[in-house]
Amino acid sequence: MDKGRTWAIALRIVRQFRRDPRTLALIVIVPALVLSLVGYLLRSTENSISLAAVDETSTPGPMLTLLERALGQAGWDLRVLSTEEEALAAVDAGDVGGALILKASGSEGTAAPNVRLVLEGSNPQKSQAIRRVVSQVVMFAGLISPAQLPDTSATGEGVSGQVETTYVHGGPQFDTVDFQAPPLIGFFAFFFVFLLTAVSFLRERTGGTLERLMVTPARRAEVVLGYMLGFSVLAVLQAVIILLVALLVLNINYVGNLGIVFLIVITLTIAAVNLGIFLSTFARNELQAIQFIPLVIVPQGLLSGVVWQIESMPRWLQGVAHAMPLTYSNQALRGVMLEAQGLTSGDLLLNFGVLLVFAAFFVLLSSLTLRQRMD
Amino acid sequence: MESAVVAEGVVKSFGPIRAVEDVTLHVDAGLTYGLLGPSGCGKTTLIRLILGTLRPSKGSVSVWGQPVPSRAVLSETGYMPQDTGLYMELSARENVGFFARLYGCREQDNVDQVLELMELSHRADSPVNTLSGGMQRRVSLACALVHRPRLLLLDEPTVGVDPRLRAAFWSHFHHLNEAGTTIIVSSHVMDEAARCHRLVLMRDGLLLSEGTPDELQRSVGARSLEEAFLIYAEARGG
Repeated sequence: MDKGRTWAIALRIVRQFRRDPRTLALIVIVPALVLSLVGYLLRSTENSISLAAVDETSTPGPMLTLLERALGQAGWDLRVLSTEEEALAAVDAGDVGGALILKASGSEGTAAPNVRLVLEGSNPQKSQAIRRVVSQVVMFAGLISPAQLPDTSATGEGVSGQVETTYVHGGPQFDTVDFQAPPLIGFFAFFFVFLLTAVSFLRERTGGTLERLMVTPARRAEVVLGYMLGFSVLAVLQAVIILLVALLVLNINYVGNLGIVFLIVITLTIAAVNLGIFLSTFARNELQAIQFIPLVIVPQGLLSGVVWQIESMPRWLQGVAHAMPLTYSNQALRGVMLEAQGLTSGDLLLNFGVLLVFAAFFVLLSSLTLRQRMD
Repeated sequence: MESAVVAEGVVKSFGPIRAVEDVTLHVDAGLTYGLLGPSGCGKTTLIRLILGTLRPSKGSVSVWGQPVPSRAVLSETGYMPQDTGLYMELSARENVGFFARLYGCREQDNVDQVLELMELSHRADSPVNTLSGGMQRRVSLACALVHRPRLLLLDEPTVGVDPRLRAAFWSHFHHLNEAGTTIIVSSHVMDEAARCHRLVLMRDGLLLSEGTPDELQRSVGARSLEEAFLIYAEARGG
């Protein structure tokens, strides 16, 4: 192994990108922009729900009080109206996400009222959130009688004052964005490094520079290592930018060691570089290289737990998800950033180990395609 | 005289297509050999077989007595591909410096010298994609020369090059011969052929004939090399 050759290749890649400000902007600005948008959107859907409520029972039960406290805690807005028509009109106009209508039940003597929930329904995420809160409140109201309802208005405690809540990981300040940011760091690193390697290796082949490279005394390992090193510089730069946006713009909460985060990003980069070199052999031009995005990137984006949780997928899809490198990097990144898993944690070592196996497998594939060039 | 390249009964097929058909060739050291023939006759394939990037289907190739591909041989071989084969975003100096480091030679001494030799010093720091076609060919040649190879393989180096630059290239080649470098250059331009010490005429993967330009012309009584080439091609049933 000649270190000089590996450095020469790494330096060349970094130089090429420095001369290409558009691509540089793409890998730095796009993830920052997308992450900011995702964060903003996730937070705004959670915060902007309002609900109308009407209590038409003759003896008001604990339901509305409980609802008010529950919504107040979530930062939602509750509008208590006097008639059902008013509430329905508000839902219809889109002023509120839903209306809860309580009516006295037909049979005399039973305390529990008839509960009807009318949802605006166009945003399933909102509908689901409302249903979740309302059913909790209804269930809770059924358990206690009005007399038992503690007068907490003085202390300002919410419904959960009744339930003692402790967090093993995270805390009440953790929200969806904190949960979504860690896998996005890995996703962008994998996506851009894969795409850029595939395209730049393709250019090497179509531009004749790869043939030139192959008739120098450089070894395959030196070439592949140089590529990994050059792209790792870019990936780390990108991860730094994403982390800065996440920490300074989105104010995400994290608990783990950022050194381990970079270790995971670099391993993911090695996997992406080599997958890119391998698959570029099957593309004849840039357009064909781009065609690998729906094949390689989109399924991983959907199934690796970036947006949808793997545990809630059908069994066979879970199997598919566990054959993808991003699944493991996502679990590892979440583990580190949300649960402060360190290098002694079994979960982290398992995820990181599988990621290393993927990287090693792709290194093998890419060196096989480079060997083929010699035949 | 020492043989730089020895090819014995070399056949190269790509599926049903035979790109090189039973070629036997001895290339003497220190001379310029011209591979002459129409495009698609197997010149590039033969050059790649000598480089070792292609393996012969039959027969053998050795350079300086060592079977190819050999890392030791590659480090003493320079290659200029038919397409420019440069990193377009990088400057001339960065391109030449990159290949210098891959060949393991210390950067500055050779790089500046070869850029000056190719009359590129004044544009050495411009990105290659801002240079004219002729300048790009000179950068490409500089990349092949920077490690002072003993054997130089040039695949149509003068395509799209103006006459003045073409003359400059050929005078460089002769200076290199004087310094002991062996050159194999492919071309389909007949007027370049007269400048080679020896010619290898090829057609449809076959080696038609090999000799000095004079020998080839005289033995078939042709008035020009072009006529000689046609007579040889006809004689092989073409």
